Amino acid sequence: MRRLTIAVVAVTLAAATAGAQNIISTQEIVESLQGVEREATLNPQDIRAMALENIQRNPGENAPKGVPMANLMENLRQFNVEINFDFDSDRINPSSYEAMGAIADALHTPYLLGQKFLIIGHTDARGTREYNLELSQRRAEAVRNALSTTFRIDPGRLLSAGLGEEELRDPANPDAAVNRRVQLINIGF
Amino acid sequence: MQRLLSGALIALAMLIAGGPAQAQTMGYADAMSILVKSCGPDIEKYCKNVNLGNGRIESCLADNAADVSDTCKADYVAAYLALQARFAAQEAVPQLCAADVNRLCPRVTRGKGFTLQCLLNKTRLSDRCSQAITDAGYR
Repeated sequence: MRRLTIAVVAVTLAAATAGAQNIISTQEIVESLQGVEREATLNPQDIRAMALENIQRNPGENAPKGVPMANLMENLRQFNVEINFDFDSDRINPSSYEAMGAIADALHTPYLLGQKFLIIGHTDARGTREYNLELSQRRAEAVRNALSTTFRIDPGRLLSAGLGEEELRDPANPDAAVNRRVQLINIGF
Repeated sequence: MQRLLSGALIALAMLIAGGPAQAQTMGYADAMSILVKSCGPDIEKYCKNVNLGNGRIESCLADNAADVSDTCKADYVAAYLALQARFAAQEAVPQLCAADVNRLCPRVTRGKGFTLQCLLNKTRLSDRCSQAITDAGYR
């Protein structure tokens, strides 16, 4: 089994030119996600509770610190992909259909067959934290819904949750596009 | 009528795909790439509030068939058929590779994914199993 030294690969689609072929490769996603032998105990309810608690305990316009479970999540096999949604909406923009297809192809490969994935939505820091938490949940659910219907992934393999702006990818630039992303975590069998 | 119609659609798609001899299979990423290129403008124009999933985009394009571009319609059918061919190829793998599994991976018991991974690691696959794996997009 091939081991990767980097667990997280961030891919920015915003700069991709129109008509570019295979914006992200299925192979890249498979390599980032494969090799999980044990089930991870992560569930949407806990993630939501943790995000709400972070908003209460560490108030402010932007989250002054991240959620406690982030360290645990960092150690799991995962892939970060920027999915473009329409402004203030959970509608997946057609510019990201190909990225959705690449995720689906990866989840259909023998290397990931039968494994379960947690889809976590993240927003940038514009807007209130509570609102962004709800928006990110709806966006993660939209990704789950598309994967389980259009792309024929067994819905039993997919969980969705949101973390709003509680875990910015680039805290120094809270409104940067790189913060708006969907995190795909392999939680095992 | 239904049969006639789907026959006509398939004939059209065959023309576009370049002949029926070997069904071309395609994965989702490539199918989506084609779809967005040909139908992206129509989707943004006629389906601005429609989200991907549950066949909603397809229904929306069908509802607006009179206005949707011919390129979009033709490429949609071609991408759809290539995807169907991929599904069929994936479903055919267990049967086409059964002998290879018995010969090369007899002790893998953990399920479909592991059996396929075992096959992918082997160099002495039969031609038909090897072709089935390629058509299924597993390489």
